[in-house]
Amino acid sequence: MNLNDILGSDVVDGDGQRLGEVSDVRFALDAGAGQLLSQGRFVGIVVSPRTASSFLGYERQELSQPWPLAQLLRWWHRGSFLVLWEDIAVLGSREVGLRPGFTAYDARLTR
Amino acid sequence: MSKAKRVQPQEIHAAPYPAGKVLDAQLHLLDRQVLDVDGVPVTTVDDIELSGPEPNEKIPKGAPAPQITALLTGPVLGTRIFGGRPPSSRLIRIPWKSVAGVDTVVTLGVRADSLDASWVERWLRTHVIARIPGGSHEPE
Amino acid sequence: MKRLLGVALGILTAIGGFVDIGDLVTNAVVGSRFGMSLAWVVLVGVVGICLFANMSGRVAAVSGRATFEVIRERLGPRAGLANLGASFLINVMTVTAEIGGIALALQLASGVSYMLWVPFALLAVWLVVWRVKFSIMENVTGLVGLSLVVFAVALFLLKPDWGALAGQAFALSVPAQEGAGVYWYYAIALFGAAMTPYEVFFFSSGAVEEGWKIKDLLQSRINVLLGFPLGGFLSIAIAGCAAVVLLPAGISVTSLSQVALPVAQAGGQLALAVLILGVVAATFGAALETTLSSGYTLAQFFGWSWGKFRRPAQAARFHVSMIVVLLAGVAVLATGVDPILVTEYSVVFSAIALPLTYLPILVVANDPQYMGKHVNGRAVNIAGVIYLFIILVASLAAIPLMIATGAGA
Repeated sequence: MNLNDILGSDVVDGDGQRLGEVSDVRFALDAGAGQLLSQGRFVGIVVSPRTASSFLGYERQELSQPWPLAQLLRWWHRGSFLVLWEDIAVLGSREVGLRPGFTAYDARLTR
Repeated sequence: MSKAKRVQPQEIHAAPYPAGKVLDAQLHLLDRQVLDVDGVPVTTVDDIELSGPEPNEKIPKGAPAPQITALLTGPVLGTRIFGGRPPSSRLIRIPWKSVAGVDTVVTLGVRADSLDASWVERWLRTHVIARIPGGSHEPE
Repeated sequence: MKRLLGVALGILTAIGGFVDIGDLVTNAVVGSRFGMSLAWVVLVGVVGICLFANMSGRVAAVSGRATFEVIRERLGPRAGLANLGASFLINVMTVTAEIGGIALALQLASGVSYMLWVPFALLAVWLVVWRVKFSIMENVTGLVGLSLVVFAVALFLLKPDWGALAGQAFALSVPAQEGAGVYWYYAIALFGAAMTPYEVFFFSSGAVEEGWKIKDLLQSRINVLLGFPLGGFLSIAIAGCAAVVLLPAGISVTSLSQVALPVAQAGGQLALAVLILGVVAATFGAALETTLSSGYTLAQFFGWSWGKFRRPAQAARFHVSMIVVLLAGVAVLATGVDPILVTEYSVVFSAIALPLTYLPILVVANDPQYMGKHVNGRAVNIAGVIYLFIILVASLAAIPLMIATGAGA
């Protein structure tokens, strides 16, 4: 499976109701031995109700400058949330299905 | 496209924060410059290969989370721009185990010349640049 | 001494960027048709390029990332490719025009047809790109190009009515004999020429070539604040010369010799010789900048190894693409097209490239992952957003105005 198969796919909940699009995939680098860098583990997907393009990164980081741009992009991505791997039922190139009763988490990256 | 059902703000929980470094693929990995162990540019991260389920395959409960197995480059860039999917034989893979670090650039722990990703560079070097006088000298 | 030499980078980019063959002619055309009434546009453009060149230099010095790497990374492959396509076309068109410009200046000096000079110009540009160290290249062409100051000297020697010139400049109105559409078309062309993206590509890549670090930031600022205003000053002087000599005589500029006319009238043979030297150096410098810029943009978008600090063998794709660009430029010239006309159409592609270049620079200059504590200050951000807005308006208006006015005819 490649990342671009998933990015931009529609996200539907357990009842097949559309929630938005996959705007990003979150990974974590866990500690591991025996190689240069630890494994990149799939944590979950970031779902944006409007658009899959997330290139500027304002909505998830503590970037607030320049102000009008930051506000515009925050507003555009309002309502984005993170869904963890455990709550994903199927990853497809057209549709990503969530399990019934999935939990939506805050998508912001805090450092 | 139907209008998306809104997930109400009160349904959004504070995220569990994993130990270790967190990377959002679009923000921190895709389209970043890849440098080799000597700091020589190799390519950019055009796509990322994951282990785990095939696309559209049902994921059993409790299945282990997929891992990043390789960074992909080459013709896959074209399909990212124009759509479609290149045959997997045309993909140029940089195994994740050669990646040494991820920051504003992705650094590798190996030399560029040892990678498939640099074959065009090497081909042009031997067939074109090396045949023009002065091609392998420092500029003066 | 080293700092003094470093300032030459700013001077080269200023002269190459501001006063290349397209600007020489555009400014003379504008002066001969609108007098000084468009001088304010040059001022607005100079402030804009200072702002963004300084920002891109700071990003390059702090993070080591040149501008097109940042563009690809922040805009993603699609919008990045749109910018690459537009910027690359501008670069190829400008390379074509500059090589033609070198040849035209040599024709002016020798009387030998410019077509015969084209192969020599091509070979000279390529040899410098292939073999000469970055610092030597910028210093030599930058210093020789300074002889274009002869335009300012000529303007003084012409003893114009300064009050009348200033009156035209501050009136901020469309001259009676010209339409508003044409006036604004030239305003956008001048603004686009002042803020051409290749200046920023070259400036930020040059910072990487020279290995700038945080401690060099002050020098970078001096370069920008000295170099670009100097280029703007020369632009205004060219327009001034044309406004004093050509506008009253009713001569409309269509060739390089008409650009030189006021200088020859004011200072005779000697001034003309200095002018030709300056034109050759400035067009040669601009040809180098745009050739390198086309290599930089391609290499940075695709992640190839690049730079003149490497041996050509260590940056094979970078050097091959520059050879292809130079050959393409000469192939275009061989069709007999007027090299000056070529630059006029690049304004269309600027409309696409300008916003897609300056937006990612502004974003990354605010990103602490890249910049640490050297992120933009508040005043720079306010100015940056205002300029982004101006750029967007100019971009949207450029193509309709071009069609409506028949490219300013």
